[in-house]
Amino acid sequence: MLNWSSRADCNLQSLIWFQRVFKVFLESLNTGSEIMTVSENIIEIKHLSKYYGHARGVEDVSLSVKQGEFFGFIGPNGAGKSTTIRILLNLIFPTSGSAKIFGLDIVKDSKQIRSRLAYVPSDANLYDTMRVHEFLRFGAAFYGGNKSEDRIRELAGLMELDLDRRIPELSTGNKKKVNIIQALVHHADLLVLDEPTTGLDPLIQSRLFNLLAEENKRGVTIFFSSHVLSEVQALCRRVAIVKDGRIIKSDEITALRDKQLKKVRVLFSDESPRQELNIKGIESFQAESAKSIVFMFSGDINELIQRLSVLRIENLSIEEPPLEEIFLHYYR
Amino acid sequence: MNRILFHMEFRRNARSLILWSVIICALIFFTMSLFRSVLEYQQQIMGMVKLVPMAAMKARGFGNINDIFSGLGFYAANNIVYMMLLGSIYSMVLTSNILLKEEYNKTAEFLMSRPISRGEIFATKSALAFLNVVFLNIIACLVSFISLEVFKSGDFRIQPFMVLTLYTFLLNLLFGALGLLVAGLIRRARPVTFFCVGLVLVLYFLFTISRLSGVKGYFGYVSPFKWVNVEVLNPSYSAEFWRIFLFLALTFLLVLLSGFLYRKKDILT
Repeated sequence: MLNWSSRADCNLQSLIWFQRVFKVFLESLNTGSEIMTVSENIIEIKHLSKYYGHARGVEDVSLSVKQGEFFGFIGPNGAGKSTTIRILLNLIFPTSGSAKIFGLDIVKDSKQIRSRLAYVPSDANLYDTMRVHEFLRFGAAFYGGNKSEDRIRELAGLMELDLDRRIPELSTGNKKKVNIIQALVHHADLLVLDEPTTGLDPLIQSRLFNLLAEENKRGVTIFFSSHVLSEVQALCRRVAIVKDGRIIKSDEITALRDKQLKKVRVLFSDESPRQELNIKGIESFQAESAKSIVFMFSGDINELIQRLSVLRIENLSIEEPPLEEIFLHYYR
Repeated sequence: MNRILFHMEFRRNARSLILWSVIICALIFFTMSLFRSVLEYQQQIMGMVKLVPMAAMKARGFGNINDIFSGLGFYAANNIVYMMLLGSIYSMVLTSNILLKEEYNKTAEFLMSRPISRGEIFATKSALAFLNVVFLNIIACLVSFISLEVFKSGDFRIQPFMVLTLYTFLLNLLFGALGLLVAGLIRRARPVTFFCVGLVLVLYFLFTISRLSGVKGYFGYVSPFKWVNVEVLNPSYSAEFWRIFLFLALTFLLVLLSGFLYRKKDILT
């Protein structure tokens, strides 16, 4: 009995060992999932630059986006948002630096990357010779989209889009809806949206946000580029701010608002004593009146309180600035 | 090659292919239908033709006055204008625009964000353009043969006819490859139709000038039109290896170079 038990134990050990070897073998076959377990970053950009001759596209851009993240990419027009996205999709080639999506190189493995990615371009036309449903079927066919018919109808219903209309008859907003639907039809692991709300009315915008939130809940990583701060604030957890082709700040939205910048407004009993407030971290200083000042503060709050405590103050407010003000602060 | 893109491009280009085929075939058939009348009024035409400068005759494709009165000679002269010139314009405009229109119509971002490589896009579009050029040449060859059979005055040799058809096809292919190169080189998203038509016309003009210059016209070899032997009435007329090799080798190299450039180029916006 003991002998049988030890043999069974030995067999069980062998089985477990074999199972482990087999698992490693299977993982090595599925390179994509192996990479995902090694690195949690879906997007990883390192020192990416793009020049058009002497003209700057983007300079030394580095950032990473984690799996399942809703990432905001904000900056005004011409800051380099679309250029960065186009490099990521290998529509244009980087001058220097590198980037990986799903752990794969954006230049060498672009086809493989695009099979798991969906993209809503900021300003892209559709094929004029087609009707909406033809265009959407054509787009889905590249992903083996035979089963996409129901999804197309569901999304078209939600976005209030007539599938039988000819493409040239569509307004800018409706063309945008087609672009959004074509991206959402196949269930991608990463959604890249470049100014997706341009031309959409508020009702459809809110439906789009709900759709994106659902996709994100499903585990889809979302890279959301926009210059509309309110939508980024409402949707994204983390954000990168782009200015003149460079990333000037990348952080959690809450961190941008809570930890770093405070909007301070002080109403003095007498005239505002500027010199006493000469402490590190005061930026965007403005005198609202002879007695009142307002500024952004990113230094040590204790030091500020200490300084203010020796002055005669009528009113003091320290608040989280809205994202717009943080944004403007970085742009000054 | 990508089946989905090929199917879409086929439908997208079918109308233009049919239009060009109908126009060229109608021109060939209509012009050949005049051959009987040319023979009927041979004397009067001889008198008239003597008044026309030889330069104008050669520009129209007739190397010799007597070419007009031979079915094959008459056909060859028309073939220079209809298939060699117009066919080459069609090929070059088709191949350059089939690649560039994605960019100037701003559909490139949509197409290139699909799981399809640039190499596949290039191969698929080039293959479709190649098939269109093949189709145009086959249909023009059939219509030419039928019209020669219908309007001939006596028997004509089929071998020179087939050799000229082969040369014409190779010339069209070469201009097609040149169109691909233009698409690979261009750095602004805009149609290049006028440039392509202009280039073909300039090269055709060079060929015509060189025909007028006789022995001194070697500079004409700069133009691929000159590489086609159009002297179909010459008894020793046959397919020459160097000409076929030159066309095929250059076409192959141009396609290779264009593919390389296309794969390495930023999309134009």
